[in-house]
Amino acid sequence: MSTVASSRQAGALYWPVQLRRNVGVRGLFAVVMAFLVAYGFLFPGLLTASGFAKFTQSWFPLALVAMAQAILMLTGGISLAIGAMVSLGAVIAATTMTGPLGVAGGAAAVALTGIGIGGATGFIVVKLRLPAIVVTLAGSFIIGGAALLILPRPGGAIPEWLSDLLAGNTPAAFVLLLLIVLLWKLYLATPLGLSLYAAGENPVGAYRSGVPVDGARVAAYAISGLLCTGAGLFVAAQTGSGDPVIGTAFTLNSIAAAVLGGIGFLGGQGTMRGALAGSLLLSLMISVMFFLGFTPVAQYVAQGLIIIGAVAIPQFRKVQQ
Amino acid sequence: MVATAPLLAARGVSKSFFGNPVLRAVSIALQPGRVHALLGENGAGKSTLINLLSGALRPDGGAIEVDGRPVSRMTPAYAQQAGIAVVQQELSLTASLSIAENIGLGAYPRRFGLLDYPELAVRARAACDLVGLHEPLSIPVGHLSLGRRQMVEIAKALYRRPRVLILDEPTSSLSATETKVLTELLERLRGEGIAILYISHRLNEVMALCQHVTVLKDGACTADRSLEGTDASGLVRLMVGRDPGDLFPQWQASVSTSNAISVRNFSAGLMRDVDLDIRTGEVLGIGGLVGQGQEDLLLGLYGAIPARTASATVNGASGLPGGVPKANALGLAYVPADRKREGLHLIHSIISNMMLPAFARLPALKLRSRRAERETARGLAAQLGIRGDLDRPAQALSGGNQQKVALAKWMPHHPLALLLNDPTRGVDVETKREIYMMLRNFAAAGKAVVLLSSDTPELVHLCDRVAVVREGHIVAMLERGALSEEAIVSAAMGAEQRQVAA
Repeated sequence: MSTVASSRQAGALYWPVQLRRNVGVRGLFAVVMAFLVAYGFLFPGLLTASGFAKFTQSWFPLALVAMAQAILMLTGGISLAIGAMVSLGAVIAATTMTGPLGVAGGAAAVALTGIGIGGATGFIVVKLRLPAIVVTLAGSFIIGGAALLILPRPGGAIPEWLSDLLAGNTPAAFVLLLLIVLLWKLYLATPLGLSLYAAGENPVGAYRSGVPVDGARVAAYAISGLLCTGAGLFVAAQTGSGDPVIGTAFTLNSIAAAVLGGIGFLGGQGTMRGALAGSLLLSLMISVMFFLGFTPVAQYVAQGLIIIGAVAIPQFRKVQQ
Repeated sequence: MVATAPLLAARGVSKSFFGNPVLRAVSIALQPGRVHALLGENGAGKSTLINLLSGALRPDGGAIEVDGRPVSRMTPAYAQQAGIAVVQQELSLTASLSIAENIGLGAYPRRFGLLDYPELAVRARAACDLVGLHEPLSIPVGHLSLGRRQMVEIAKALYRRPRVLILDEPTSSLSATETKVLTELLERLRGEGIAILYISHRLNEVMALCQHVTVLKDGACTADRSLEGTDASGLVRLMVGRDPGDLFPQWQASVSTSNAISVRNFSAGLMRDVDLDIRTGEVLGIGGLVGQGQEDLLLGLYGAIPARTASATVNGASGLPGGVPKANALGLAYVPADRKREGLHLIHSIISNMMLPAFARLPALKLRSRRAERETARGLAAQLGIRGDLDRPAQALSGGNQQKVALAKWMPHHPLALLLNDPTRGVDVETKREIYMMLRNFAAAGKAVVLLSSDTPELVHLCDRVAVVREGHIVAMLERGALSEEAIVSAAMGAEQRQVAA
């Protein structure tokens, strides 16, 4: 009897909590939907299977790095090494997967590298109490250098079947993304995962409440690293080879997507669904401007203006209240 | 005397920060079924002692004992296991998490490694019911008022089913109703055999609630005794080593008939259609429950938030200042309630803090005269009794002295009207007395003083008139003759209205 009562209580807590988290991102969701509809009208190819597959594939790596950045920003940190980590993931995938390690071994190497480097960065930031922005800036040089050591010029290879699977005409990327989002929801339903918010926004209070603040933050860096090298693997599969500088643009784009998605710089503010919507919006903007024939320079300027606008609108609303 | 071992005790603990001893060989023992008061002025070491008892800090010397056994390495996690819960003065909540998620933080129920939301909902609801918190559990804490957050903080402590409950100034941001709920709750918990350590600057609460008292003065224990047979003045004597009779200065009428500030149909923030005349030479009190719009009234007059008015006169000029520099030029000065965030720049030196309003008045590119600044600052420090090196960062000062600096910085500009937002919140008795004296002297010198306060006795003893605010309106203007704590509280709670109507 008590289990019945308590399971009814579950409906009365978990979902309302989730719904309230939507409040801050409703506007963003509306804008993304509007963009999606406009995009569908401009390029009806989106609604075909292969069109959808291509579209989600162009979004997928940006979605991963946006999540990677958002996790860190939720802890009150930031990473300037996102791009370098993507490059490193790409070159490791391209050099190992056709070698003796095989695809499984290569994927494991990519994952372990991401978790290892991410965890080490987190350890330095958290335990030595150094500013994340400086540690990850230095880290971006080291990691970028390592990628160039492994593969000085574009090369290596990804097995063709893997490229076809991930970046062919199947919606594999979209399914993978759903899976990752589901895993994230699960992580956020663990005490350690939910502690991220407390550790980011009010570390002293969280520590005094008995939260393993340092552990939660180091874990966030490790997860962030894993997402980055995973994005690298995907990019390598898309191009069929490794490129040691392919990730560079992802550093700033990941920050842009997270900020568009309403993640605050002070820690503990924002939601992952917001960051994902932000990355989708950014991805849509890039493709729309590309198809409309914007020159790259005009693209960058427009992109910058839109991001400032997106951050400013909620502020205006706050001032008006 | 008591046969059972204390649930939690400190034996001769000492602690220093950067070579400054904060606690010297202090002992305290918390017995089950007893509310133990911890008193002392700000900077006496109360918060440090709590941090030692709860494992947030480790003592340099002495021992912490749980159930009579010394604990070698006390951590917050260990304290939690031992059933020790602390309601911190600085809230330990996370604004973006829901009420329930905050209450369970650090001690979530789990199922299969995941957070057990059903169980959390049940247990958090039970804790909330205890403190009379009826908001839905899914609301993010960031949407609650300060007083409600404090109640969440208390619920969070109760959720852990503590054997020892430590409350650090729990009522400083609570309304009268909330305070009453808390008092009844503590009485009940005491009956259930929980040991409670209660810290408050409000002596009447302490007298009503506690059975035993430990008094700290300058990091040493000056009293550890039963509260029976002591009165409030006796407690103050123990804290300051001096008679409290002169806490409030002798009241003398200094009010004139001219208005310093006069507004009609004034609206700002929560305040709606207020008519108010503030006379020169008076201390006008602003009372009411927490968060009824009092702060918006001050900020609106000061031009710090947008305000509308039908007509206004401020120190002879017509119209509201509409901006802080203009307000300063018209002779208004504002001292915020949150001195750590709004009142001071904590990491900067005391001198810089005192000189800040002066910088705003200098021509932008004029060279500063360090010597003149130093002289002015020294004069201010002497005038307000701020002791020690003025090059230290402001955070090195105790709360009371920080408040003095926040006041002092306006003095060189001879403001005609002072707008003070709860200037004595969390300030020790001695500094309170000095601040009260200053306020009366300002009034006597012909300035207008507006005193927003959550401390009803100071409104009664210090003010010429008190405006009581409820739901954005001034619901009562009590003249000196009609001032009493009962009158203010009943007006604040709306009990007055029926009488007026009748």
